[in-house]
Amino acid sequence: MDELEAIKVTFFQECEELLADLEGGLLAMQDGNDDGDTVNAVFRAVHSIKGGAGAFGLEPLVRFAHVFETLLDAVRSNEVPSTPDLVATLLRASDVLADHVSSARGLGFVDEAVSAAMAAELKACTDPNAAPAPVVAAPVVDTIAFEAAPLAAPVDMSVGAPIGADDALDDDDLGFDFQPMTITIDEQAADVAAAAGNVWTVSIRPKSDLYRKANETALLLRELARLGPIEATLDASAIPPLDQLDAEAAYATWTVRLETEEDETAIREVFEFVDGDCDLEITRGEGLSADAALAALLAGDAPAAVVETAPVVVAEAPVVVEAIPEPVAAAPVVEAAPAPVAAPVATPAPVAAAPAAAPAAKAQQIDVPGPGQSVIRVDPERIDRLIDLVGELVINQAMLAQRVGEYGIAPSSNLAMGLDELEQLTREIQDSVMAIRAQPVKSVFQRMPRLVREVASMTGKQARLVMDGENTEVDKTVIERLSDPITHMLRNAIDHGLESPEERKAAGKNPEGVVKLAALHRSGRIVIEVSDDGKGINRERVHSIAIKKGLISPELQLTDEEIDNLIFLPGFSTADKISDVSGRGVGMDVVKRSVQALGGRISITSRPGQGSTFTLSLPLTLAVLDGMVVDVAGETLVVPLAAIVESLRPKPEEVRPLGPVGSVLAVRDSFVPLIDVGLTLGYREASPPPTEGVVLLVEGEDGSRAALVADAIHGQRQVVIKSLEQNYQQVDGVAAATILGDGRVALILDVDAVISLRRREPPRPVEPTLIAAE
Amino acid sequence: MSEEITVTGERRELISFRVGDQEYCVDIMAVREIRGWSPATTLPQSPGYMRGVINLRGAVLPIMDLACRLGMPMVEPTVRSVFIVVKAGDRMIGMLVDAVSDILSITDDLVQPTPDLACDTVRSFIRGIISIDGRMISEISLDRLLPEREALAA
Repeated sequence: MDELEAIKVTFFQECEELLADLEGGLLAMQDGNDDGDTVNAVFRAVHSIKGGAGAFGLEPLVRFAHVFETLLDAVRSNEVPSTPDLVATLLRASDVLADHVSSARGLGFVDEAVSAAMAAELKACTDPNAAPAPVVAAPVVDTIAFEAAPLAAPVDMSVGAPIGADDALDDDDLGFDFQPMTITIDEQAADVAAAAGNVWTVSIRPKSDLYRKANETALLLRELARLGPIEATLDASAIPPLDQLDAEAAYATWTVRLETEEDETAIREVFEFVDGDCDLEITRGEGLSADAALAALLAGDAPAAVVETAPVVVAEAPVVVEAIPEPVAAAPVVEAAPAPVAAPVATPAPVAAAPAAAPAAKAQQIDVPGPGQSVIRVDPERIDRLIDLVGELVINQAMLAQRVGEYGIAPSSNLAMGLDELEQLTREIQDSVMAIRAQPVKSVFQRMPRLVREVASMTGKQARLVMDGENTEVDKTVIERLSDPITHMLRNAIDHGLESPEERKAAGKNPEGVVKLAALHRSGRIVIEVSDDGKGINRERVHSIAIKKGLISPELQLTDEEIDNLIFLPGFSTADKISDVSGRGVGMDVVKRSVQALGGRISITSRPGQGSTFTLSLPLTLAVLDGMVVDVAGETLVVPLAAIVESLRPKPEEVRPLGPVGSVLAVRDSFVPLIDVGLTLGYREASPPPTEGVVLLVEGEDGSRAALVADAIHGQRQVVIKSLEQNYQQVDGVAAATILGDGRVALILDVDAVISLRRREPPRPVEPTLIAAE
Repeated sequence: MSEEITVTGERRELISFRVGDQEYCVDIMAVREIRGWSPATTLPQSPGYMRGVINLRGAVLPIMDLACRLGMPMVEPTVRSVFIVVKAGDRMIGMLVDAVSDILSITDDLVQPTPDLACDTVRSFIRGIISIDGRMISEISLDRLLPEREALAA
């Protein structure tokens, strides 16, 4: 069962991609791009999800996908015109479909009422257009049966009926009101009367193209099996000996005995997708399946091994079904003919081209060029290990260079030149390895249109999401943690940023607000911008709330920028939720914290009546950090560059004592507390005068500033972040560790912790009158 | 004699080492490697027996001064000092000792219970005492030696 579970996991991964394709296609349609390819891609996405879900018996998912697909098929064949309203409906349906997928995955629940309503809505879209159908059906009048015909036709036939007629039976709740009655079309009537079970013989001879297009016979057999009980016989006689085998060629032929009450058209429908890629022969009657196979065997010079195993009968359909989604696409053939020769045959071209598993769902997407076709799925742990190793390589290279330098070897010597080359190679390897983990932010962005739709409908606003720079690449670990802040900010942009359609009209704006989500690279960092064209931050209100909540003192005079930044204060959001005023604070402190946890910064610009822009600036990776290497009391420390505002050598007149022991630094008319890092971390008992050292002006996560005193600065460097907790534990004041070029461990300073450690020091007696005594 | 040993218990191998003028040992299965001393990076806010951290092929390895942990005076490490890298639970840690002396092969019946000492620390760190050829070797209980992560923070 483990194997099946693994296949299921793959299926759900496929679903994610298909859902993204679906939404992407629908959004393209929304933008007026409704050419055949787009509509086809949309249809196939739903079709593939349905197909895979059918294989796993995910009933509710199949049922919903079925209705969805029916409508899409009608759109595809121009029976239903693609209007903006329809596309909007389809988009909502895609959301429900996504819910169904999550639910099937055990990650969420589907609101049955919503799903049923959606299904009814989808069905209603097909209905008026189904009207012409009865005209066609009219000549053969049979009351009940033909009421069903118009619906049954698009459902079962054009779609290739992967779930078969039986499923339609269960569809009562979705409005399928037909009975499972034989459709008595003239030409068939006699046969139906004659034989209770119609027997067909289908002979399938795949051409190489069939495999090349990622189709496979097992799927076709499964489809056939849905029409009725099948008995499939493999004729492997044409398979040449191993040394003459062309792995990309197709040798096997299937002869299928099918008992069905469907007509020939239905059988042909099964092969709709492989039209021209296989020789198909459909004959009525018992046929000569077994005889033909035997004759072929006798005629051919097939090797003994093949002869023994060739005529394998796939006795029951479920066997085939279970085997289908196997990552190695042609597994059923392997099962059927375990001859040594069979394996290469069973692994035709498409499998070789896409070793990353091409299960059922993908195989049906014949000519949709997926964006990630040549993608390898790799366990992230392996990449992490690779990154670790490269980190060690970099350190070792630096150590080697240092040692060689110590021996005084001339820079022009072969050794030194070889080392230079090694250094370049190392750097290139490091960049390449980091690039493996880089992914486009698309995976996060593509979830956002749905969020915008939901929030907009919840808040009664009209919002259009414009996205830019979806292909901007950033490390996977960063991407994973981008989702929450972006979700929060978009929700805020709509909920608090945008006005209601009426307000917007009154203000002379388009009732539909525009929310923009953009990603771009800027000086080695990734910048994410979330902007809206709403009303901007209501500074007066933000200010008064902050005062009311006791977050700031009423006397404090604040600049516009400072007021805007109040919404990041913890506690502000709570006030906002309770009073539901129009500030923009829901969870903004959370956003800020998660951004800062990533080594990033967030800023706001807002203009009344014109909207606000939130800008996130984040490092491209979490494995490497830009740091300033400093000396403190004989120890080497790394201060994250993101926290440093500036570094300076303080002049004596800039250092002002404050109280008995403390002192502050005067920086352009403001006073910043001086913190001796060595003292705070316990490296020394007394601090030397700050004027002898270097001062790093840093900003903590709450925006508070401090001046960190170090003894000397060694310069800026990229360092590989190493965990301290793995073998030890978290240390106050230390964020992590790294290894320097000389092989020694250096600690990375946790700037916020250092600032707050300082605050936690026991309060010293300070005479209030002394403060001003300077 | 040897028959008796096989009857009473399974043979274990221990690595013994000197800390000051005393002999201690740990189960060889816990030992990952033994390395020469190299200067460690001091950890702030850490107990006195934590010497700091060193780079062990890319991993950050904390070094514990065993003498200090056992309550004896700290001795400045020399070039001849070594540390024993041991695995305890999911953590790797280096124990700074003066010298590695021996590999012992013993059975559990050779392990005597820890005498009732006044010092609780020592009593809780020592699993038992082994007497071989007139030497007294104390077996260290690694899981107790490494305090809980929470406790370290205190």
